[in-house]
Amino acid sequence: MDVRIEQVGTRGEELVLIRCREITEEVREIERFVKSRQGSLSGIADEKQYEIAVTDVCYIESVDGKTFLYTNDRVFETAYRLYELEELLASKHFLRISKPMLVNLMKIQSIQPAFNGRFLAILHSGEKIIISRSYVKALKAALKGE
Amino acid sequence: MELKKFFVNKLILFFLLSTLITAAVSLIGSAFDGDAQLGYRDMLTPMRYAALCMLPSLVMYARHELSPKQMLFRKALMLLLLEAAILLIAFTSDAIDTDRIEVVLVIAGSVLVIFALANLFLWWKDTAEAKKLNQELAAYQALHT
Repeated sequence: MDVRIEQVGTRGEELVLIRCREITEEVREIERFVKSRQGSLSGIADEKQYEIAVTDVCYIESVDGKTFLYTNDRVFETAYRLYELEELLASKHFLRISKPMLVNLMKIQSIQPAFNGRFLAILHSGEKIIISRSYVKALKAALKGE
Repeated sequence: MELKKFFVNKLILFFLLSTLITAAVSLIGSAFDGDAQLGYRDMLTPMRYAALCMLPSLVMYARHELSPKQMLFRKALMLLLLEAAILLIAFTSDAIDTDRIEVVLVIAGSVLVIFALANLFLWWKDTAEAKKLNQELAAYQALHT
């Protein structure tokens, strides 16, 4: 696939156009990547597709090979893999806090101890999620901006 | 935690306990019964005790992160197994007079107190760490809002 970049000036409409013979999983992957870079993620709930603003996502969990986005009041299934989202959203305040989970640091209200060097993140939505002991060091580094 | 990593940690705990028990037996033995003769079989005693004391901690293994309630339940189970292990050691040792109920109660009570104190210390340490994390989180959120 050839890649062309065209400058449109300050008044032109910015657009990413993918011209393909067939819409393959690879094409979908590029689409998802572009959308995520713009601050939204595709997700499915009640058999309908939604675009969810990254800033609305509280945390992301992988369960039995499926990835779910949790907002304050809804859950969406997404085609992204957790490791993809970890990479894509690293600059958008998302951090891995346990093997199957990423959290939006901006959505944490407080942190409490939870035995054995683990911590409990209390989210603004009221949900409580575990910060695994092995990810505490990364959390400290992220909060310090390292 | 991964099973392999968990078992490696337990193996480290086993060797650490073996060393500490050997050191404790040597110190206490040389202070109170320095002329005692020990056989080859006695050399395995610290390892036997270390294995018995390490085994209860295996109940802490979980494939997924445990909730605080599940963790509390596992800790209680671990304490019960630890009490059983220590009492088993006491009852099979010739040096400990387990016919006297007060001796058994002191041993069981000591295990309970040490377990509670160790966990209280860890909780205090984690609470201090959580306080620091909350301060850093507030600073982070203020910076990025």
